[in-house]
Formats: sequence, C-alpha cells, structure tokens
Amino acid sequence: MTIDATPPGWAEVLLRAFLTPSDSDSVSGDLLEQYREIVRPARGHRRADLWYVTQVLGFVWRSARLWAALFAVAFLARTALDWLVPPADFHARANVSTFLGAGIVLLAAFQAAARSGSFAAGPVIGLATAAIAAPLELAGAITLLAAWHDPLTMNAIRTSGGLAEVLTLPLLMLLPGLILGTIGGILGAAVNRLRSA
Amino acid sequence: MAEVLGSFEQAVLLAIVRLREGAYGRAILNEVQERMERDVAAGAVHATLVRLERKSLITSSLGPGTPVRGGRARRFYRLELAGLRALNEARAAVDNLWRGLEWPLKGHA
Repeated sequence: MTIDATPPGWAEVLLRAFLTPSDSDSVSGDLLEQYREIVRPARGHRRADLWYVTQVLGFVWRSARLWAALFAVAFLARTALDWLVPPADFHARANVSTFLGAGIVLLAAFQAAARSGSFAAGPVIGLATAAIAAPLELAGAITLLAAWHDPLTMNAIRTSGGLAEVLTLPLLMLLPGLILGTIGGILGAAVNRLRSA
Repeated sequence: MAEVLGSFEQAVLLAIVRLREGAYGRAILNEVQERMERDVAAGAVHATLVRLERKSLITSSLGPGTPVRGGRARRFYRLELAGLRALNEARAAVDNLWRGLEWPLKGHA
C-alpha cells in the first residue's frame, strides 16, 4: 500500500467538477483508496495515473454522451434536410440549427455545472459533447452520402455548402463547444451558488 | 410487481447483499469486478448506485473516512425491501426461463 501516493491533481479537480457536492468526498475517496491500495502497488506510478485518468474520463463520458448524441442527431437532421429537401433560402434553417446546437451545448454545460457547483464542468462537457458528437456526425454524413448520391442530391449538396463543409464542420465545432460550454458552466455554477446561498 | 432489474443492477445489488455493513462504493466496485471477472468503471457503479437509490431500492448514509482515503467520508449502502423484492423477482424470472433444461446446454450449436 502506498498511503502518500497521489493521483494527478488536475484529474481529481476534474472528477469533483462532475460530482454533486454530496458525492464529491465519498466518490473521490473511493477512487483514491483504490488507487493507493490496489492500482498503484500493482501497476506502478505511470500506469496507475493512467488508470485514474481513465476512471475520471468515464465520469465525463457518462455526463456528455446523451448530449453528444442529441447534438449529432440535430446536425444529421439538418444535413439530411438540406440534401433531400433543399430550401430556396438556407438562412432560416441555418439559424434554427445553429441555435439548436448552441442550446444543446449550453444546456449540457449549465446542467453539469449547476449539479456540481463547479464552473469547470462547463467547458469540459462542452468540449466533450462536440468531440463525442464529431465521429457520430461524420459517420452519419458518410452513411447518408452512401444512401443518396444521385445527381439531384449531389447538386443539393453543392448548393448547401458542399461536402467539404459537412465533413469539416464537426471538427470545427470543438472550439465553439469549449466557448459555449464555458458560458453554460459560468451560468450553471452561479445558479448553484444562488440556490445554496 | 417489483422493479425490473438489468444484469448490472443485479450485480450491484448482490454486492450490497454480500458486503452487508461493509457495502460502500469502493468495496462494491471490487466485489462487482470480482464476480463479473472483468474491469468495471467506477463511474458505471456510481451511476448505478445513484439510479438504484432514486428508485428507492437502496438507501445510503455517510460514514467516517480513513487515512488511506485522505480522511474522506465513505458512503455506505443498504438494501431496502423494494430492492430485495426486485432481486427475488429477477432470480425467479431466470429460474422460470431455465426450468426443464439441463445446464450446461449440450446441443447442435
């Protein structure tokens, strides 16, 4: 047993950002105990740290995965509509889908930060939502393309911004995800403080 | 009719039954890993415990910490009557499915 061994500090801060105040001590204590008593003696410093970080990322994944799925569905619905039912003017549709996507990330970050009281949950979940959604969006877009690639649809794809836009947009969403997540995180943490005041 | 349980929920509830007074987060994690013979994420166990408590199948209370966990409190879990009923029904359902069959199955697969 290595009673003084400590896992990466940043990972512990991240873990606490995703736990409710009532679970924060007990869950972080459980992980610390497991780290010190079982994992560190058996696997050594580096692999034990990796284990700890993986466990923490599991908490982030569980918080972000449903929001990411929702985000990906919104993106793919917009893509499918643009390709299969192209409008004369894309502005209204673009506004709706932009606000919907931003709303999903804001809400995810707000909820996570309001639950834990830590604003840090916001940017992390914003980034995680966009990052988990990206491969889903790319796979979905490629599937759509495999199913519909007749000349009419290919023309609709060109007029809606082109294939390159659809295939790069998921990756370009990482930075907005981080920014919107930060805003949602600040709002959520503020609400948590107001509630507990 | 009692709450229908998934297999992971059953594993967590049975770990609480086995551990009795010692059923806190980390002990439950290790018990589930041992019984399922695979690594299990702490987050998966925590999420399941939260869900089971929300369904009133278990209750929890905080206990003292120890030096190895930096003095942080331990959350102990207790099976409630509804949880006991749900486990019994889950077992009865599996027994019903297997009734009349010999285990292990031998056949044409």
